[in-house]
Amino acid sequence: MATQLVNVLDKGAESVIIQGELLGKKIIVKYRVKKPYRHPKFDEIFRKTRTKTEAKILSELYMNKVNVPAPLIVDLKNSIIIMEHIEGHKLSDLIEYMNIEELKTIAYQLGLQTGIMHSLNIYHGDLTLANILVNKSNKKIYIIDFGLAGYSRDIEEYAIDIHLLKRSILALAPDKLDVFMEGFIKGYSESYHGNVHEVLQRVEEIRLRGRYVEERLKKKMLRDKYIE
Amino acid sequence: MINMYGDILGNVKDNIYILGIESTSHTFGIGVVEYNAREESLKIIANEYDRYVPMKGGIHPREAALHHTRTAPQVLRKALERAGIKIADVNAVAVALGPGLGPCLRVGASLARFLASYYKLKLIPVNHAVAHIEIGKYLFNFKDPLIIYVSGGNTLIAIQKKKKYRILGETLDIPLGNLFDTFTREIGLSPPYVVNGKHQIDICAEWGKEFIPLPYTVKGSDLSFSGLLTAALIQAKKYKNNKEKLGNICLSLRETAFNMLVEVAERSLVLTGKKEVLLVGGVASNKYLREKLIAMTRVHGARYAGTPPEYAGDNGAMIALTGFLSYVHNIHIEPEKAFIRQRWRLDEVELPWLPN
Repeated sequence: MATQLVNVLDKGAESVIIQGELLGKKIIVKYRVKKPYRHPKFDEIFRKTRTKTEAKILSELYMNKVNVPAPLIVDLKNSIIIMEHIEGHKLSDLIEYMNIEELKTIAYQLGLQTGIMHSLNIYHGDLTLANILVNKSNKKIYIIDFGLAGYSRDIEEYAIDIHLLKRSILALAPDKLDVFMEGFIKGYSESYHGNVHEVLQRVEEIRLRGRYVEERLKKKMLRDKYIE
Repeated sequence: MINMYGDILGNVKDNIYILGIESTSHTFGIGVVEYNAREESLKIIANEYDRYVPMKGGIHPREAALHHTRTAPQVLRKALERAGIKIADVNAVAVALGPGLGPCLRVGASLARFLASYYKLKLIPVNHAVAHIEIGKYLFNFKDPLIIYVSGGNTLIAIQKKKKYRILGETLDIPLGNLFDTFTREIGLSPPYVVNGKHQIDICAEWGKEFIPLPYTVKGSDLSFSGLLTAALIQAKKYKNNKEKLGNICLSLRETAFNMLVEVAERSLVLTGKKEVLLVGGVASNKYLREKLIAMTRVHGARYAGTPPEYAGDNGAMIALTGFLSYVHNIHIEPEKAFIRQRWRLDEVELPWLPN
């Protein structure tokens, strides 16, 4: 195999990302590493199933023209996926330096892509800003890292994706949440086949499930009054 | 750490004493911190507490509140004695007004309101969750850590950003401490929940050898433990009288729950690129969680610290310390407005001492 490994590009939470070359094209080798804190038996199940899920979902999304890196080679035994290299930076690194217009376009793009993904009954499971790549030259966005993704027809899973996205914006750039979500929902409404309102309502419900949310208490008291 | 107050305090000549009252749950605690104006240093000079231990079942809010009412005068006296000060020397009284159990919170709040109005002291409201974090940062001189807060009432990952603690991930149902407490109670091991500083789940796990897979629910950075609890309980019912089998379940339950927590902590660490990881809350004294977190942080080259048992569980010193931070930023309320807040999320509180 004409693989030439160049350098370690990134050390993710569960994998090492190595840049390389295959038949003259730039590629990424994603290797899920063993974790020192995990029970060995557990560790093996994890690395295998997550690699399998990611490869399967990447190929389905790629065939349906969602902006994701194309998977090229999968080695389940060693938990390795070799995929297309995407030029771009993590949105988590860029968001603080973006102006409102740029942010709106990016958010709209992401909404569109997420809508298509959810229409295919696929959820991401970890849709945070660090898992979104932005190519500054052609303004395209790519969704990456599908280790926690899966298939489901339950809107709960789609709502969780949006909930996680909102929360990661709240943590990294809280003042940009409104602008971002406005653009995102616009894009999402255009591409999602189901009932957008229903999904967004569920997102709100998920937020209320957190610990010590006062609105939840108020809501319950209102209900109690109603029953009386 | 102390230089950050120098500017705000200006030329304060006298020492500052802050009394902190904690009564959110099973612990009634009073702590005192001293700011030495000459040395410009901040010290914890008293940390007294008394814990309510249920005879059976879990914490009964009314019983716990009764316990607090009975022990309060004694704990207060002991704390002042240890600190070597009189109540008249205190500059302000800080109290944890939430989140927590209503009846318990009211005991602390009543005492604080009384002390503040009778002795003409400033009354400082403190969020219990903030206090857990602030004492950890103070003890290890951490400036900007990734915070892992695990206790009987909370399981969350947070960072500081724009004057608030921002939650990156949290439990969607029961907290980790609650998971262990409920499981050991249901299988008949607890109460007592902690024996010689060791939780029953750890004692039970020592009987086991083998790891069995249990449900593992991680959604992005959020966790869910209720399915894990149910599955473990179903397994445990089958092997009621088999010590080794029961040990296997305890071991696997702990292993699974900790793995979930460490995984989301790791993901948050990579997302934020922090260089410090701070473990706070009651479960911080668990040795196995500590070991796992040390292994994880080593991979990413981050500094790790967890609050020692003395300050990991609920205590008054952390309330006093957070009270001091509020005091120097001139945060205080009128005693008649010191209402308790059973629900008061960490990410609601704006804190002037946090960076922008």
